[in-house]
Amino acid sequence: MKLGNLIIAGIVTGSIYATFAVCVSVWYRVSNILNLAVGDFAMVGALSVDNLYRVRGLPLPAAIACTLVVVAIFAWLYDMVVLRLAADGRGRAEGIVLTFFFTFALSFFIDGVAKMLFGTDVHAAPALWNGQAIAVANLHVDRAGILVLACAVLIGGMFWLYIRYTLGGKALEASGENAVGARIVGIDTRRYRRLIFVATAVIAAIFGIVESPITGYTYLSGATISLTGFIAAAYGGFRKPGRALIAGLSIGILEALLGGYVSAEYGDTVMYAILAALVLAWPRGLGFESAVSG
Amino acid sequence: MSRVPLFGPSSRVPRALGPTALIIVAGGLFVVIWGQQYAGSVFVLSACYAIVTAGMAVQIGFSQQIAFSQSVFMGAGAYGVALLNTHFGWPVLVCTPVVMAGSGVAALLLGAVVTRASGLALAVATLMLPLIAVGYVTSAQYLGGAVGQSMPGTLWPGSSSAAVAVGGGLVVVAFLAVAVFVAARVLTSDIGLELFALGADERTAASMGIRTPRRKLELFVLGCVFASLGGAAYAGTQQFVPETLVDPTAELALLIMLFIGGRRSIIGAVIGALVIQYLQGASSWVSVNILVVEGVLLTVVLLVDPEGLAGILATTASWLRARAPIAFPARAAAGAGGVAAAAAVSAVTWVGAGVAGEAESDSPPPKRGDGAGDPTVAASSAGTTSALLTVAKVGKDYGGLTVLHDVSLTLPARGLFGLCGPNGAGKSTLLNVIGGSVPPSRGQVALRGADITRKPPHERFYLGVSRTFQAVHLIKGRTVLDNVAVSCLASHHSSIVTRIGRSRLAQARAEASRALDDLGLAGIKDREVSSLTLEAQRMVELARAMAPGPSLLLLDEPASGLSEDQRHRLAATLQQLGTRTCVLLVEHDLDLVAQVSERIFVLSEGRLVFDGDPATFRASPIVTSLLVGL
Amino acid sequence: MTDEAPQDHDSEDRPPDPVALKVAGLSVAYGNVTAVHDATFTVAEADACAITGPNGNGKSSILLGITGMVRRRGIVEVFGTPAPNGDVRWMARHGLTLVPERRQLYPDLSAWDNVILGCYSWTRSLGRARRSGSFGRALDLFPELQPHLRQAAGTLSGGQQQMVAIARGLASNPKILVVDEPCLGLAEAVARRVYDALARIHDDGTTLIVVEEAPKRALTLCNRRVEVRNGVAVAGVAA
Repeated sequence: MKLGNLIIAGIVTGSIYATFAVCVSVWYRVSNILNLAVGDFAMVGALSVDNLYRVRGLPLPAAIACTLVVVAIFAWLYDMVVLRLAADGRGRAEGIVLTFFFTFALSFFIDGVAKMLFGTDVHAAPALWNGQAIAVANLHVDRAGILVLACAVLIGGMFWLYIRYTLGGKALEASGENAVGARIVGIDTRRYRRLIFVATAVIAAIFGIVESPITGYTYLSGATISLTGFIAAAYGGFRKPGRALIAGLSIGILEALLGGYVSAEYGDTVMYAILAALVLAWPRGLGFESAVSG
Repeated sequence: MSRVPLFGPSSRVPRALGPTALIIVAGGLFVVIWGQQYAGSVFVLSACYAIVTAGMAVQIGFSQQIAFSQSVFMGAGAYGVALLNTHFGWPVLVCTPVVMAGSGVAALLLGAVVTRASGLALAVATLMLPLIAVGYVTSAQYLGGAVGQSMPGTLWPGSSSAAVAVGGGLVVVAFLAVAVFVAARVLTSDIGLELFALGADERTAASMGIRTPRRKLELFVLGCVFASLGGAAYAGTQQFVPETLVDPTAELALLIMLFIGGRRSIIGAVIGALVIQYLQGASSWVSVNILVVEGVLLTVVLLVDPEGLAGILATTASWLRARAPIAFPARAAAGAGGVAAAAAVSAVTWVGAGVAGEAESDSPPPKRGDGAGDPTVAASSAGTTSALLTVAKVGKDYGGLTVLHDVSLTLPARGLFGLCGPNGAGKSTLLNVIGGSVPPSRGQVALRGADITRKPPHERFYLGVSRTFQAVHLIKGRTVLDNVAVSCLASHHSSIVTRIGRSRLAQARAEASRALDDLGLAGIKDREVSSLTLEAQRMVELARAMAPGPSLLLLDEPASGLSEDQRHRLAATLQQLGTRTCVLLVEHDLDLVAQVSERIFVLSEGRLVFDGDPATFRASPIVTSLLVGL
Repeated sequence: MTDEAPQDHDSEDRPPDPVALKVAGLSVAYGNVTAVHDATFTVAEADACAITGPNGNGKSSILLGITGMVRRRGIVEVFGTPAPNGDVRWMARHGLTLVPERRQLYPDLSAWDNVILGCYSWTRSLGRARRSGSFGRALDLFPELQPHLRQAAGTLSGGQQQMVAIARGLASNPKILVVDEPCLGLAEAVARRVYDALARIHDDGTTLIVVEEAPKRALTLCNRRVEVRNGVAVAGVAA
């Protein structure tokens, strides 16, 4: 049944958008920076694994492990060097410069490095779970899609447990709500910022590895994914991860439906027009802050 | 007045003629000498982009109105010229103004819809524009589809390739000079101060009479028209319009140019365009790995100075100037230590003589409240019995919660009135309803009998309503004088276009200066606001609210954060204000309120539970239990 | 054995250091504006010290400098250990907890969560924190908060928020509790309640430093006083 398959495909991509949107939102609360490079980490994850496995012949688990470790180290270094200087240093950047442009530059940088290392062709990480799409009562789900959903649920679930049932999780929430109040009880908000940034990078890489067999990536794919993640987080109001999650799923489903029923070419264009109309009609209902401080 | 540098952010605003002359001379020379060579053609190309980024500097950098519309309109300009030239044979120089006019109309229509949103909502809404545009353009055959549109004409019609190249280059330089001149004039006029206030805090700007919706629309149109001019220049010199011109990546490239160069500086915008274009052609390694280079460059530049290369140059210039004081006069000193400043403010004395004569002063600035006649004349003839403000059965609901129930009160033309109540009683909401930033769900607000219930804050401002806020909202990076001048700009009938010609800034500053003198703040006029103590900042806000001569002054917790001595001084100031205008004071400090007010209103849970004089107030059992109990 | 915040065991070997907080030559400047000049005073253990003075004269800046919220010059020692500059978290981990002006609670977290986060300075385990004596005492301090514990802190009244802030401070089991303007914006009866709680904390042996603009209330509780005018601190006995 077409509608059902479209919705399932929409939920699969939607869960990626949702996860990225939640990562962007959680990190924004803690750092006041919007991570515009999320999709680029996903792309790098996929292309690295492909390169290590297919070109250099590493066994798949080693390729994956290696990639994730390198991504984690890079993200950690980026925060330690660049973000620390930008956000905490003597000549602090503020306002829209800090919020957007450092991760914006990072996105360019990662894309450029990917182009250098992996060329301009379309690649994908190898499918982790081989086989036909699974059919359940007229609905088809790609096995990769099931893996994506499983990852999303697992990661989401772990995060929820962390926030609710550990003191560290509450400390993370506190850092996002009131940085001054957090410092007073001894919370190192910078460490949480670094932790979430690294976690976001690794999570994004994992999703890239798992999802790329479905679509295939080039070095420029990251930008589109980052953009959609950003938009989903925007529609969640940036500060509310719960709403970002719903927004991500909705956008995924909307995109799939439009692509299936309107046309493959114009589907995205129509979706953007709808999203624009929504923002203009109900900015407050969608939770947009009324002003950007500069 | 000390000299201002050519390029620089915030308080150091560029003058218009300097950068324009620089561009004409340097650019012209460059084109003439190298116009036919590679270096020259890259320069001309960057000049096309610089036209676009100059507009972005005003719109995004200076006024904080983040919109992603420029690449779309650059494309519109380029495609427009290409089509008119190819299909109708019009010379490019004729196509250009036509295309600009068309873009202006389109921007007006689009902007009317889009600029209703603010901040991040505006950004996200306009983010969709390039995404939608690229989808349309790639599939539109008449635009050349995914390949692009070529055209036979050039900017400078000529026979030899030398004439075409050099002539075209000079025309582009001329366009750029005009763009820079207009942009710089906007920033140095009184509108520039308004735009700065708008960028700093939209809500406060509106309550000071700045027509925020109109300014935002004007900025949007300005950015789009500049972009279309840049696009036309692009088409005229490159003779080919690639589809990538409307790509989202094109918009990102423009943003990179702006931010590397210096987002708040016109010259910075030009520098940024030059740097990026030259980089793209510098060497084959750089051009292949342009993404990495741009990423690293942007990161490094922003780490060194968030204001980009222009900021770095400005800092170097002032560093040099500090070491060569003979060449340039230094700016007014930032002021002595905080202790001295505190002492200066503690010597605030009320210039009583100046107060009474103020209403009949010579050369009055355009008086507000002209909708209903001169308020001061009306008040003095009718005495204090005629009502200035009538609040009739005002109610306000937020979702299921009723914050105000049937509140009614009237205020005469002069006097000091207090509004008290426990936290959450609705005092701020009531003040916002009277001030116009929140529309009531029920009821009416009338000023001198005329219904103003649905009027936005900036219109109420021009009818004589002025207010302060709980948190101090001064514009950082500007002097006290400029901050007070914002409310004296009286620009509600003017547009950006008219202000390029005549600026009211000097007059506004003169009025601001008078207001500051009245409050005894003459000594801190040239101080930058973030160096002041809290008391001084609150006094500056008060001066800003008083400067235009309001009929109704709304004060939201002016004593908050002040010490006992400072409160005594504030009380004296308030009493003097009450003799010449109507003041409604929201305060927690009951002693202060009882001391200065002639009548006190008490709100509790959205209802008016007390309305009477201070003696009754102190004795009233309702009041004591409400405000002293848990 | 109950879970407890770690205590100083040196007290069994030698008499406790009588000086809880030592401030010497403290200067705080913002840019080229000097807010505090060379402040020097000490607070003995189990003292209750009021820091008073008009606003804008350096009183808050002294506190911000001592607690590490802003950078300073000079020496600050907590029970004999020199404190690093500008490090609030170090202070929290070494027994000096700040209850800041305007509370600085976490508005979307519940009151219970806000208080338990006070324990972050000495443990990372939610279980240990919940079972600890410090947390229990913090909640007992304000029984009127019991029905509101699950409510989001941002929806509480000003007085309730101040109580949560003080409870959070107490949950960190501080040796020195520094309270900045506890009664800002509070009604009279609530302010009295807050001071009762502070008195109880003091009676339990905690050293107290209270910054107050209106000295009347603070002086009923405190035995020492530091008056700050024009950036200069003058220590004395409370009148």
